[in-house]
Amino acid sequence: MPTAAAPTIVDRLRSIVGPQGILTSASDLLVYECDGYTIAKNRPDVVVFPTSTDQVVDIVRACNEADVPFLPRGAGTSLAGGCLPVGGGVMIALTRMKRILEVSTRDRYAVVEAGVVNLWLSNHLRPLGYQYVPDPSSQGACTIGGNVATNSGGPHTLKYGVTVNHILGLELVLPDGRVVQTGGPAEDNPGYDLTGVIVGSEGTFGIATKAWVRIVRLPEAYRTLLGVFETVDDATNTISDIIGAGIIPGALEMLDQLILQAVEAAFHFGFPVDAGAVLIMEVDGLEAGLDQDAERIAAIARKNRAREVRQAKSDAERLLLWKCRKQAFGAVGRLAPSYCTQDGVVPRTQLPHILREIQRIGSKYQVRIANVFHAGDGNIHPILLFDERDADQVKRVLQASHEILEECLRAGGSVTGEHGIGVEKIDFMPRMFTPEDLAMMLRLRAAFNPDNRCSPAKMFPTAGACIEPSKAGRRAAL
Amino acid sequence: LILTGVQIDDSGLLPLIAVASVNELQAEVLRAMAGNQAIYPTGGQTMLNYGLSPSRPGWAVDLCGLNRVIDYPARDMTITVQAGITVARLQQILAKENQRLPVDVPLAERATLGGALATNMSGPRRYGFGTWRDYVIGISVVNDQGEEVKAGGRVVKNVAGYDLCKLYVGSLGTLGIITQVTLKVRPRPEKQTLVELQCPLDKLDWLLESLNGAPIRPCSISALNPPAARQVLGPGFPSSVEDGSKPITDWLILVGFEDNKEAVAGQMARLQQIAGMESMLQRQWQDGESQSIWTGLADFPLASGEPLTFKANLLPRATAAFCRQAAGMPEVESLQAEAGNGIVVGHVAPGLTLDRAGAMLTTLLETAAAADGNLVLLRCPPHWKSKLRVWGRPRRDFGLMRAIKEKLDPRAIFNPGRFVDGI
Repeated sequence: MPTAAAPTIVDRLRSIVGPQGILTSASDLLVYECDGYTIAKNRPDVVVFPTSTDQVVDIVRACNEADVPFLPRGAGTSLAGGCLPVGGGVMIALTRMKRILEVSTRDRYAVVEAGVVNLWLSNHLRPLGYQYVPDPSSQGACTIGGNVATNSGGPHTLKYGVTVNHILGLELVLPDGRVVQTGGPAEDNPGYDLTGVIVGSEGTFGIATKAWVRIVRLPEAYRTLLGVFETVDDATNTISDIIGAGIIPGALEMLDQLILQAVEAAFHFGFPVDAGAVLIMEVDGLEAGLDQDAERIAAIARKNRAREVRQAKSDAERLLLWKCRKQAFGAVGRLAPSYCTQDGVVPRTQLPHILREIQRIGSKYQVRIANVFHAGDGNIHPILLFDERDADQVKRVLQASHEILEECLRAGGSVTGEHGIGVEKIDFMPRMFTPEDLAMMLRLRAAFNPDNRCSPAKMFPTAGACIEPSKAGRRAAL
Repeated sequence: LILTGVQIDDSGLLPLIAVASVNELQAEVLRAMAGNQAIYPTGGQTMLNYGLSPSRPGWAVDLCGLNRVIDYPARDMTITVQAGITVARLQQILAKENQRLPVDVPLAERATLGGALATNMSGPRRYGFGTWRDYVIGISVVNDQGEEVKAGGRVVKNVAGYDLCKLYVGSLGTLGIITQVTLKVRPRPEKQTLVELQCPLDKLDWLLESLNGAPIRPCSISALNPPAARQVLGPGFPSSVEDGSKPITDWLILVGFEDNKEAVAGQMARLQQIAGMESMLQRQWQDGESQSIWTGLADFPLASGEPLTFKANLLPRATAAFCRQAAGMPEVESLQAEAGNGIVVGHVAPGLTLDRAGAMLTTLLETAAAADGNLVLLRCPPHWKSKLRVWGRPRRDFGLMRAIKEKLDPRAIFNPGRFVDGI
């Protein structure tokens, strides 16, 4: 395969995006050698920053003519190596395509370019009384295009759904340079739901340049409760009972003792650092009826031996609570020099079991594990703490991660609820799917990306790939 | 087991083979492969003639025998069932645990889950709760090789692999035959209320816009012309006593609320405070007494003996104007709009000629297209199908659709010829 850095294609790319829209020097490219999954690293040969769909088309055509692989990148917050340029090639960074093109509150949609940051959109909509619901913890940085690629979640998905439930249509530059629009602002367009299947395809179907997203009314009011529990079991039983009672909270998040201590040290919220676990339980919607739901939730928590149930007294207190939750990962820096966030899913009723297993696995491998996660969805995020300079620790962290995910599968779950397969979890795909299942997925990919030139070596195990990603990734950390 | 035969449009009598297991279904697909024949999957046969006419010889396969509940962990709020179960029976099973699927399917007593997914039918509650794509979290299908393949899983959040669930929902059986489905379910609401408003057609736009901006969260907003209102509510509509001298021209708007008691009561109070709306408010139906009306609204697209039924989809803001235009056409009998979603279904009276149907549908399609939408036929005389635009105007991404069909069903075994542009 010719290298992307061969002068001809770099010159051509430069003529497409201009000298300010391209990076080629080794030091500049260093930034793009990995995303939020820092265990695997590989430098792209060149990074380009298009500002329009037309430029993306020209870039893709140039790559095709030069027979060079390419992949899209948003803010690079993927935690699974979704933006890792396996085998090098051209990285197409969409961060300069950042316009909000249209908002219609009457028809409840917005049209945005792929590089619009998730939080910008919600900030833009708030004065209108609307929001774009999916709010991953990285929402201050991550882009809508990246959210589309990974079908991102966030704390509010329990009630409102994940990214795919909020994407109405897409503009996609296909790997051969054709531009298609799937779906659009009106519902029920006849034909296959291509939008639905492009969401979550992790950049392997082409490059999404524009999205029609659903917007919803802002909740009129919230009731945000903090339940303090002696044990993780009591907290998880509370979650099961709330859902079982027919209440769908806007969010239901759990933090265990270790993460509480880190968060408290960072934000001084007043969390009881001796508690086994706390639950953030939030109901939202119209004012009428919220108190009743909040009271029922508090009663359920007390029935499950909550030591204390507090209610946020003001908007400021509520926002601080959410800040603690969303920046919990940052606070982990106080506990260890490195950490690895896992992403697994179990049926909700299996939460007590999986948390006990995580504890057991942590002891077995002598790895400290903190837990902060979307409890209502059964989507766990164990954070494995380590020091990446210590090869033995890295090895134990990887083994423990693997064993936790195995346990999720045994419990009837999935190895990823919102981070994606990327390169990190390719090894698990044959565990979740039969060869026939995987063959169907590859046939589908062939309809979009027949040469596999766009985002190669992602999601699926491939015989004879340039590198065997997870193993190479592991070596990179050592 | 050959039941009897089934006729799809003018296909002649196709043999109808009932399968009692996935293995039997797989055998049928292998037999079709070997004989270069097509398979036309059927369920409750409520929408047998939906789409274009069959393009290849073959036989129909009846899937009603695949109707077992595989797993119902109610506390996880998911259920895994075989696709031949009727939607009504599925709802009965869920109701025992005080749960439900908030997707309305016409003729749910007969319609199978697999058929509902393949046709992607939904009804009034889609405004508040979405459509099938929002509830299917795992799916198994028998593919063109006769293999049972799956996508998704049994947990509510899962991004492992491509989400083929989305592709199969609404694909009219053209990519494989759905055998098993895992669904996310919801708790039944504590309180249900349907509110009736009456509104002159020229005020409809104002009313719909006011409802959109009002501080309420209805789960459905349906607008019906007088014939549709009589169809759904019975001949008693309207509630006000008429002196018989002036014709009833008001439209009927049914607004649904589902939530806890306090939230529904709070919204009722607010509805009455909206200036200009209080005079339009008529009756209310609570809980059990509202059920037959919800069912009537859900059944409307299929509950008519009329020869031609269209369904338009367009931007919600254009709904009232579309309704006005359609209501002005003498052939259009009854009209029902899911106004919050921009979906309008219309039944056309008998006596229509092909020329007139073509002209009328072209006009309405242009209006829908101008509002980013389209217009398809849910039903029409079979011999008109080659002349009318059964699937509306061509999609922009049609090339991609065809590429997918060719990759997943290269021999055109599944329901060939019937979907968009003859896929």
